[in-house]
Amino acid sequence: MSSPEAPATEEAEAPVTDEVREEVLAELREDLGDAIVGTHIVPGQDLWVRVTKDAWQQAGFALRDGAGFKMFEFVSAIDWLPSPWGKSEDSPTDEVVETEPAEIVTGYAGGDTRFQVFARAHSQTRKMGVTLKVDVPEDDFSLPTWIPVFAGANWHERETREMFGIDFVGHPHLVNIYLPGEFEGHPLRKDFPLLARHVKPWPGIVDIEPMPGDESEEGEEG
Amino acid sequence: MAAITDRQRLAYANAQAADGRVNLEFETDEGMTLNMGPQHPATHGTLRIVVKLDGEQVLSCEPVMGYMHRGYEKLTEVRTYPQVTTLINRIDWLGSFANEVPFILAAERLMEIEAPPRAQWIRTALFELSRIANISLFVGDMALHIGAMTAAFYAFRDREFVLNQIEAATGGRFHPNFDRIGGLKDDLPKGWIADTKAAMERIRDFCDEMEILVEGNEIFEARTRGIGVIPAEVAMQFGLTGANLRASGVDWDLRRDEPVGLAWNEVDWNVITHPDGDSFARFWVRLQEIRESTRIVDQLLDGLPAGPYMAKVPRIIKVPEGEAWVATENPLGEMGYYVVSQGGLGPFRVKIRTASFNNVSVVPWVCRGVYVPDVITILASLYFILGDIDR
Amino acid sequence: MGLVESGKLPKPLTSLLNTSRKYSIWIFQWGLACCAIEMGAALGSPRYDVMRLGVIPLPASPRQADLVCFSGTVTDKMVPSIRRLYDQMPDPKYVISMGSCANCGGPYWDSYSVTKGVDQIVPVDVYVPGCPPRPEALLEGIVLLQERIGKEDMAERWRGEPIVVS
Repeated sequence: MSSPEAPATEEAEAPVTDEVREEVLAELREDLGDAIVGTHIVPGQDLWVRVTKDAWQQAGFALRDGAGFKMFEFVSAIDWLPSPWGKSEDSPTDEVVETEPAEIVTGYAGGDTRFQVFARAHSQTRKMGVTLKVDVPEDDFSLPTWIPVFAGANWHERETREMFGIDFVGHPHLVNIYLPGEFEGHPLRKDFPLLARHVKPWPGIVDIEPMPGDESEEGEEG
Repeated sequence: MAAITDRQRLAYANAQAADGRVNLEFETDEGMTLNMGPQHPATHGTLRIVVKLDGEQVLSCEPVMGYMHRGYEKLTEVRTYPQVTTLINRIDWLGSFANEVPFILAAERLMEIEAPPRAQWIRTALFELSRIANISLFVGDMALHIGAMTAAFYAFRDREFVLNQIEAATGGRFHPNFDRIGGLKDDLPKGWIADTKAAMERIRDFCDEMEILVEGNEIFEARTRGIGVIPAEVAMQFGLTGANLRASGVDWDLRRDEPVGLAWNEVDWNVITHPDGDSFARFWVRLQEIRESTRIVDQLLDGLPAGPYMAKVPRIIKVPEGEAWVATENPLGEMGYYVVSQGGLGPFRVKIRTASFNNVSVVPWVCRGVYVPDVITILASLYFILGDIDR
Repeated sequence: MGLVESGKLPKPLTSLLNTSRKYSIWIFQWGLACCAIEMGAALGSPRYDVMRLGVIPLPASPRQADLVCFSGTVTDKMVPSIRRLYDQMPDPKYVISMGSCANCGGPYWDSYSVTKGVDQIVPVDVYVPGCPPRPEALLEGIVLLQERIGKEDMAERWRGEPIVVS
């Protein structure tokens, strides 16, 4: 944790290099070639690899068989759209106003679309994990399933489909896992409103807890 | 009593009809469908399992979740970092403290703050205490599902002593919310160390008692040995973690292999594995892990470093942009938080990877071909908590 | 015992019936979330021991129960089951709502999948606050309910009319 974080550039140019993760990246590059469109390394911590949509399943196999990341962690997605409702952090008396959508800022390893699917696998021999990312364009809102790669992806993809609406091609049983059948919308999309919040503003906004060791507040809080 | 009123008769008839719809459906071609849950004594929590049967044998089995889905991942997006820890306490409600730690570590990693050693040691000790509180209940619960009620009473009895210690240190019997970004809310109270050691002694006695009472029991062995075998390969494919993975013979424990700043590697303990991969192995591994945890706690408290329990952190916590993944070995298995920050007061997106979700996803695979009573023991031995599955 | 139905129950008989009812409550444990463990501690652990209050835990089915304790978060998906099992309970029946989630939604007040309070579905007699309430709190809730049963006019309850307790 002591090493400084790498600048969020496309290629890792950190002052401290991380040979282990560079090596994994080189192996993946050998297998996937041009399918890798973005990478990011935080030395000593983690490795991100972004692949093209066509190579999603292939990347899974390369990760599992080629690089030896045999342990499945999760599949999920992220909606990079800044929330149109804000974070409801303004003063409780403020009205919730719908603002113009701000520019989409994507995270490590870059991205071109609003939705990204990311998955993680772990290697017990290398003692490290890799996060794979893939862009999912909204005009072709689907992705090949990862079940042939990791059987455990089954439920995770059902969850992702339910929460974001992303279709997983080849999934045998893509039905709702959490929500009742009549539920409308995809809750984890940023433009899905939490209605309770619109009816009643968040009462805990002004509450910022004094920290222990803070001189001015010492002894007051129990 | 007098004659039943019409209203009562109607209610009774309605209830009968409802029961008939819920519990049993007969189908002609595919055997019988049996519905367990969502409120079923054998599925601690509100898990519902639809089992297709051929006689007593399970043809296929499909867990239906969502009865405890509370939308954590969405709610974290509209809360600040200190508020999120209050919320995530309640994911795995038996080992609450352990839920906070990986999230706080992820936030600390993004903020490039490191908690002082004393805080890390106390964190580790409380982490292990919550593991003991969690798994000691499992031991009783597992026996309960086999049909032995006494063990559950014993587990509740001895668990109280651990909960007392957690309460004495944190103020919360169940949901401590004690962890802060940069350290802990408070230091340990006076006399806590001696009391905790006495409680650990008691827990070790409890383990001995359980070994005699449950593990050596002939019926228990007959119900669990060779039932629900999960090979290591399958376990890895489904992403099983924790004792379920170690019971399949995989020597993997994040506490030893990736301690992420916590103090496990400062003390002497063993990773317990079992080669069998059956229900009995999972029970056995967990029981031994309680013992190891008591050893860890004892040693941590002996060597507790002096110093501050809180690093310097800004008064208003803003986490810089970035993404971080931190996972720890929680009582149920690997629990990880993938925190995406865009520089606000709260996280932009938090992916919560819980152990039980992956652990239970193996149920359809492992329950094919077993008998109905074995479904119960397999579920009990996989050990899940509904809040941890559904989030 | 046509007296009960006719509504002309002598006072001593009422109090006798109420006393016997209030010390033989079968409690159906509807454990939903965190509170279920605290309820389990209250019902099943030697330290709290609910039986000394004359409450008998773990009936085989809701049809044998007089009291149901909803402990934990009620989700929208769970609501039909809750209503169904409540309907199966024989009258007179009582409901304890345990914990903030069952009372009002608690920490999930803004969630998209949580029902904000079990009282939207079934009538609640006693609310036990806390997140989760300690087992002692649940015991106190039960004691309060017993006081309430003790003051009840049984004939009214028998007819299924809404009860008013001073």
